[in-house]
Parts: sequence; C-alpha cells; structure tokens
Amino acid sequence: MSQVVPLIDAHETALFGSKAVDLGQALRDGLPVPPGVALAGDVVDAVAGRDEAAIREVAQAVASLRGPLAVRSSAVDEDGADASFAGQHMTLLNVRGSEELISALSEVWWSANSDSAITYRQRVGLFVRPSVGVVVQVLLDPETAGVMFTQNPVSGEDERVIEATLGLGEAVVAGLVIPDSFRVARSGEVLERRPGRKSVAIRSLPDGGTFAEELAAELVERPCLEDQQLAALNALAGRCEEVYGPARDIEWAIAGGTLYLLQCRAVTRAGT
Amino acid sequence: MNGAPIDVLGQVPLFGELDAAELARIASVFKERRFSAGETVIQQGSGAAAFFVIVSGEATVLIDGVEHRTMHAGEYFGEMALIDAGVRTATVKAATDLLLSGVTFWDFRPIVEENGAIGWKLMQSLIEIYRSEREQH
Repeated sequence: MSQVVPLIDAHETALFGSKAVDLGQALRDGLPVPPGVALAGDVVDAVAGRDEAAIREVAQAVASLRGPLAVRSSAVDEDGADASFAGQHMTLLNVRGSEELISALSEVWWSANSDSAITYRQRVGLFVRPSVGVVVQVLLDPETAGVMFTQNPVSGEDERVIEATLGLGEAVVAGLVIPDSFRVARSGEVLERRPGRKSVAIRSLPDGGTFAEELAAELVERPCLEDQQLAALNALAGRCEEVYGPARDIEWAIAGGTLYLLQCRAVTRAGT
Repeated sequence: MNGAPIDVLGQVPLFGELDAAELARIASVFKERRFSAGETVIQQGSGAAAFFVIVSGEATVLIDGVEHRTMHAGEYFGEMALIDAGVRTATVKAATDLLLSGVTFWDFRPIVEENGAIGWKLMQSLIEIYRSEREQH
C-alpha cells in the first residue's frame, strides 16, 4: 500500500492521520479543498532521517502541486476525542522548493517529538511513539480566512459562530488579531456582527515564510465578510455536518472569490 | 546529514562502554534539528524527549534563569532523557543558528530492547556514573 497518495486517496487514519483522511473524505464528497498530498508517518520519519528514496518519492508526489505549499501535521492520534495537540504539532506555510519541503517535514516531525509534546502525551496517557503523518497542500493567498463552529461551542445554540480576518487565518489561530465575529442562524439569518480589531494580516513572502502586514486604519474595524459570503459559509457548515456529523470546528479561506475548506474536525471537549 | 557524529557519541559517558558497531547503530537513528539564534531548545522543568549533539553553532545553558556556560559543536546534552524521559534540569537556548543531531526516547528504547549487549553496557556506564557522582558528594 502506498505511503504517499493524493489527498483524495487518503483513507486509512492509522497511516495518514485524521486530518488527511478527513480532507480526503471532504474531496470525495465534493467539498472545496485545495489540492494536496498525504504522507504516511513512516515516510515523514524517513524524510526527517534524510532517507534518499523517501525524499525522492515525496518530491515526485508534490511535483504536480503548483506554487507555495502549506505543510500541516496529521499525526495519527492528534485529534483524538480526549486529547488536542493544537499548538504543539506544527504547521509551516509558504514552503517553496524541495529543500525547504524536507526541512519543513523534519520540523513537523520534531514538533510531535518535542519536549512539550512528550509532556502533554504523558499527561493525557498517550505515552507512545507518535506516528507523524503530514498533509502537503497548495497554499492559498486568501482575501479573508478564519474559523467556524457549526454549533455555538459556548452556549450550545444551534447557530454558526464565525471568526474572520484579512489574509491568512493563522492570524486568528495565533491570536494576533481580534477577529470579526458573526453568529448566523441555520436558516441563514445573520444574528450578530461584531467587528474585531484586525491591525495586521498574515501574508506570504515571495521567498518563503510569512510576515504580519500592518493594515490601513479603515480596515481595522470594518467587517471583512459580506452577507453573500456568510451565506456561503453557512452552506459549507451544512455540507460539513452532512459529511462528518454535527458540531464541527472548521478552518476556511476565501481566495479569488472562492470559499475553500482547510480543515474540519470535531469540536474538542473543553478542558482537554 | 544522516545520523550523528560517532566520535562525539563515543565521548558521552552513558555510551562509554559501547563499541564502534554499537555506536554506529545508535547514530543511525539520529535526525537533524535546526534552531534559529534566540530560540529555546529545551526548557528547565519540562518533560524530556530527546538527547542532542551540537553539529554546528553555539548554545547557552541556563539554570534557574542564570547563564551557566556556552556549548559548542561536538558537545551534547540531555542523554538521561533516553532512559527515563524525566525532567529537564537546565534550559538550553540557541546562542547562534544551531544545527543539532538528536534521538528521541522512543527511537532509542527499541535499540536497547532488541540488543541485550547494548543494554548491559549502558547499565555498566550508569553504575560508573552513579559511583563517580557519589564520590564527589
């Protein structure tokens, strides 16, 4: 069985991790996921150990992906129901060229084998060698991006909670901005629009990596999503629930006017 | 780079009893890891995952926030993590861009479990380290 497959062919969680398999399932169900490749844990392990055959196999597989890449951990147990490795397992954006890709895979491997990841594993009773699958995807250059809960994670109300910012969504994930916040009823009615303070936008650099661009004053508090885009997000939430089940935590981006799904996972229980 | 410098591993007291082939076996599972100047490599008090050899660059050792010494290429730290994945006793920060070669607890343990001779020699080294520490106190 191949250890390196197009994302749409990622079926086995034990090989590729839940992030890759969930995105593969999304593609199989016709959801708008950027193209990518899933790497099994053994391949990432071999690349991090500079195994030449593994490096060649990965280079061939990603050759069809045009432009800069996003390299995201898809460790086999990272999104288990009782454990969340968010913030420990690394994502690298705007990776360009094969040497950078090898370094990025090595960094992702080490992020799952770091002191903090080990400490967390000891604490939650997952003290086993991590199998670090990886998703390599085309990196979008989004106008707007963010996260969305298909059910309100605080009140439990049956409504979408959407957080949005300008540029890459990592500004929200990293807490660099106070994102715009929206609540949308399942019917599509916009229940609340709360402007945030988006003083920076994360953008790609031409030679790799990202930077925080200072935003013009008039953009800082202007809501970055229109009703039409909120309707599209509501529709995406509905499709994700059809495919995966209720209470999903979604990362999304709008690039070139098209809405993309970047990640969809079960909401992690509070306190874990 | 593939693996760790065997001559450096030969200087680690924990590996003091191992022969060249055994050192080469251990060296083969090391992986390189890079840090930029200023980044924290390991944090005092944190759980310990890996043992590192400095391939190039310099690192600063801090204990309770106080600078203790500078480490250079060919020096190493964290070897006891390979046995018990215990707690880091010092913080190490990259003083310059740093290239390390490291092995985790999980990749080291199967080598010992599969090779009784290596396990026995590690025990001998640990007893030697223990005796030496006891004589110093």
